Amino acid sequence: METNLVMEGVKFMFLGMGTVYLFLMIMIAVMNAMSAIIHKFFPEPQPVTKAHQAETQDNKKIVAAISAAITHHREGQGL
Amino acid sequence: MKNFILKIVALCMLFGFTATFAEEMTPVNAVESTHKEETYQTKPFAEMMSGFITSTGINAFINPSPNEMNSKGQPMSNFHKGVGRIIMIFVTFLLFWLAIAKGFEPLLLLPIAFGGLLANIPIAGIAGEHGFLGVIYHMGLSNEMFPIVIFMGVGAMTDFGPLLSNPKTALLGGAAQFGIFGTLVGAVILSQMGFVDFTLQQASAISIIGGADGPTSIFIATKLAPELLGAIAVASYSYMAMVPIIQPPIMKALTTDAERRIRMTTLRHVSRLEKLIFPITVLTLSILILPESTPLIGAFMFGNFLKESGVVERLNDTLQNSLINITTIFLGLGVGSKLAADQFLVPDTMFIMILGIIAFGIGSAAGVLMAKFLNLFPGNKINPLIGSAGVSAVPMAARVSNKVGMEYDRSNMLLMHAMGPNVAGVIGSAVAAGVLISLFQ
Repeated sequence: METNLVMEGVKFMFLGMGTVYLFLMIMIAVMNAMSAIIHKFFPEPQPVTKAHQAETQDNKKIVAAISAAITHHREGQGL
Repeated sequence: MKNFILKIVALCMLFGFTATFAEEMTPVNAVESTHKEETYQTKPFAEMMSGFITSTGINAFINPSPNEMNSKGQPMSNFHKGVGRIIMIFVTFLLFWLAIAKGFEPLLLLPIAFGGLLANIPIAGIAGEHGFLGVIYHMGLSNEMFPIVIFMGVGAMTDFGPLLSNPKTALLGGAAQFGIFGTLVGAVILSQMGFVDFTLQQASAISIIGGADGPTSIFIATKLAPELLGAIAVASYSYMAMVPIIQPPIMKALTTDAERRIRMTTLRHVSRLEKLIFPITVLTLSILILPESTPLIGAFMFGNFLKESGVVERLNDTLQNSLINITTIFLGLGVGSKLAADQFLVPDTMFIMILGIIAFGIGSAAGVLMAKFLNLFPGNKINPLIGSAGVSAVPMAARVSNKVGMEYDRSNMLLMHAMGPNVAGVIGSAVAAGVLISLFQ
């Protein structure tokens, strides 16, 4: 009975580690397959440069507005 | 005038005390009181005084009442009612010190320790069935609700990006689960040698400490061995907090200087779609392979899916902050209720603490060795230091890998690489938990 219990523990160990590894290996295979599929069929659009341009345009507008405001302010003071 | 009043009060007290002792001499005629009346009966002042004195905590510690039962309504020994409780109160003070002065997982250790303090109060029965700690315990711990909610929050905080960009590091997270099953065998051998009397269920619940995952440990303990919950939770959280002390010596002993300096290739960019599909994929796998693990993995992936969807920022925010905080308070107090002297001050606790740290050490070592094993194969080399992060303990274990790596090469940033095995460890220990549960069905 007592030796039985240790054998049970060892059985648990093999079954448990086996399952954990089986699960993780399938997970890795699926992850690789998934990323391959996604990169092939759904490549991520790259809006980075566009956004950057829009940002610089915005910045130009802001700079223009600020300089206009400064000149206006100075003129106002001059009077 | 003031003095006069004080004197009167003192006189009354004196009279009360002397009358108490006089009262004890005369036998109480309890037989006559079978006829009960609804009206309030006046009692002599001396009797009220003596009643009050017997109801003080001091008296309860010194002369434990034979009628007092533990939280399950079973009788307990005088040791557990008196000295045991005082010892446990000092143990909770020690936990306060560890949490506040040493910064050991204060978020959980403080509620647990305070719950333990409250659970050891005599007479009040706070941890009993109708005390508020008992109510909290039955509300969400005995039915495994709180660990699941915590898992949702952890899922919402987790970023699978590092794992997705280097999938093979998941194997390190698997290796660390050897800590669980190796300790299971150890615990069974220990009880076979006659040191302790652990059943297979209890041994499994103890060994899950090796997964270094608090909610999982609590989940398994409440399912398989609720009587050991207090010790298992305290061991689990205190070892998680001690990761920076326990792991570095193991990591350094198992690696060479050259291995510690290995630089890993930079992680590739992971698209949003990949991150969005990943939680569903893992959940699908666990449904197919091991449905027993789906309560934990399902909750975890639910939280992560909400986060990655990007359209439910409010829910994501609640999961990451308010919900997990509220649940942590209740979880801590509920676990603390199991620190009552009669359940904690037993020889088993010591073995749980010892087995727990062994489980933890084996887990860390197995992760490091697995990384070395993977390096035997062609492909990108893995720095073995990230192997120890395979025990869950997110993100502490990953930070430790990073810190040890930087001791040898200041410009070698391992943190993001270590997050891969770290989150894989969470999945791995949830799977291991599922295996253990399925074996006892």
